[in-house]
Amino acid sequence: MISLPLLRATIKQNYKVFIIFLAVLTLYFVVIAQMFEPSVYESMDQLMQTLPIQLIDAVGLKIAEPSLIGYLAGYYYGFLIVLLPLIYSIIVANRIVAKHVDKGSMAYLLSTPNKRVKIAMTQGVFLLGSMTLMILFVTVMGIISCEIIYPGELDIPRFVLLNFGALLLHSMLSGIGFLASCLFNDTKNSLGFGAGFPIFFLLVQMLLNANERLSNLRYLTLLTLFNPEAIIGGTASVLPSFIAMFLLAVILYGGAVLIFSRKDLSI
Amino acid sequence: MIEITNLTKSYGPNKGVFDLSFNVNQGEVFGYLGPNGAGKTTTIRNLLGFIHPDKGSCVIDGLDCHKDAATIQKKLGYLPGEIAFFDDMTGDEFLRLMAQMRGLKDTKRQSDLINLLTLDTKGYIRKMSKGMKQKLGLVCAFMHNPDILILDEPTSGLDPLMQSIFVELIMEQKALGKTVLMSSHSFEEIERTCDRAGIIREGRLVAVENIQTLKAERRKIYQITFQNPEEAKLFAKDYEDVVEVSGQIVDAAVSGEVGKLIKVLATFDVVGLDVVNQSLEDVFMHYYNRSDIDD
Repeated sequence: MISLPLLRATIKQNYKVFIIFLAVLTLYFVVIAQMFEPSVYESMDQLMQTLPIQLIDAVGLKIAEPSLIGYLAGYYYGFLIVLLPLIYSIIVANRIVAKHVDKGSMAYLLSTPNKRVKIAMTQGVFLLGSMTLMILFVTVMGIISCEIIYPGELDIPRFVLLNFGALLLHSMLSGIGFLASCLFNDTKNSLGFGAGFPIFFLLVQMLLNANERLSNLRYLTLLTLFNPEAIIGGTASVLPSFIAMFLLAVILYGGAVLIFSRKDLSI
Repeated sequence: MIEITNLTKSYGPNKGVFDLSFNVNQGEVFGYLGPNGAGKTTTIRNLLGFIHPDKGSCVIDGLDCHKDAATIQKKLGYLPGEIAFFDDMTGDEFLRLMAQMRGLKDTKRQSDLINLLTLDTKGYIRKMSKGMKQKLGLVCAFMHNPDILILDEPTSGLDPLMQSIFVELIMEQKALGKTVLMSSHSFEEIERTCDRAGIIREGRLVAVENIQTLKAERRKIYQITFQNPEEAKLFAKDYEDVVEVSGQIVDAAVSGEVGKLIKVLATFDVVGLDVVNQSLEDVFMHYYNRSDIDD
């Protein structure tokens, strides 16, 4: 149900930006992991104390437990693992469907004997596949880096679970971008909607972190479904949120393909 | 082969197409004429299944243009009106992608077309000129030997030499019994290739005519340059349908037979004789007047 020639073309168009994000993710991971030296940890703590507590809370830099995984869950999975792949998915989601419609190159794709569903599914498979590959890369790269810097220190099963949560989160978030890309005929709206919602979620999340009195706001953001501290703390309480993220991802991606196969195209 | 029945797709008053019906028969080259914004592209988008009609239907080769869009594409060659490709590909890469997405193995026809149109496929598409891009689109539309061709303003951006090659290409397709629908805002282009033409204005079909009939009804303007203004004035007295006299130059109109004008001219010393290219609007104005359609 997908077009392999189109998938190859889409990969070729997007692999550079993908590799850049892998490099940035690796760079941040290694730099942050390096700082886990207990002595540096203390100086990190001192540094944190010089910063306004609201700022630290806002970007989610909380340490759940003083282990390596607790440290990573706070410093890497609290913010960077949300933000960086999100930027990637916003850029790519917009490029793979809406841009072709906006520019008119979609007319050529649809002048071949391929159903719209197939075209949309190919692009969806690329987006979801590259998100999966990205998180998989972070998982493997993370384990290898930790084993080199702190042999035997990382709780690998819990680290894998943490990354699985991140994968579900990004399946859901990229689904928003993909839906926007399939829904709108021009990139302006596609980007506005596809980036607007996740950025709104991020801002709400930062407000939530900064001020506990605003806790009612948590219903306004989907990001609360991914809670690194809860994931490494125990699995029982995170299962519902995992299921919720999975279902939302299925609905968003499925809806996107369905919308694209039925709408009027201005090409 | 192509059947459009009561097609309506409205984008507001006089925007879109309204209650449009016409057929293109197998083996026929059909010209679709109209000024910009008349609804030509909207009609074609319906035929390609890109948009849904509000009312009515489009059928190609017995298949519904929306439901069976993908199946229809097997036999259809389409040239979009707007030239937009994958900018970051070379011409070769793009044609390969299109051939693969069609499941087209035999690329003989493709390379023949590239040679015929003298297209350079090595470079990146974003660096190509408008004419080159148009040629690339034409190769795409013809490369799989389709039975039906839908071409949206096929000669825009092509130089006169290439336009002639394009005309030959269409004649060759016609000889092979292919069905062609091409839109244009140039009457000359349609005149050279088409059997019948449909004229659309503000989303409504105002006429479907045999091209010979259209030609006969068409009023042509000839610009004649005389030796001196006196001769020009004399001629203006002799000839019945004079549009304008300015100095030694006279614009004379001819409907149908040009012989009458030549007979009158024979008695004068003529320095120059040119055909004034009439815009499509002029041709239409004349056509509308003849058909007693209110403007």
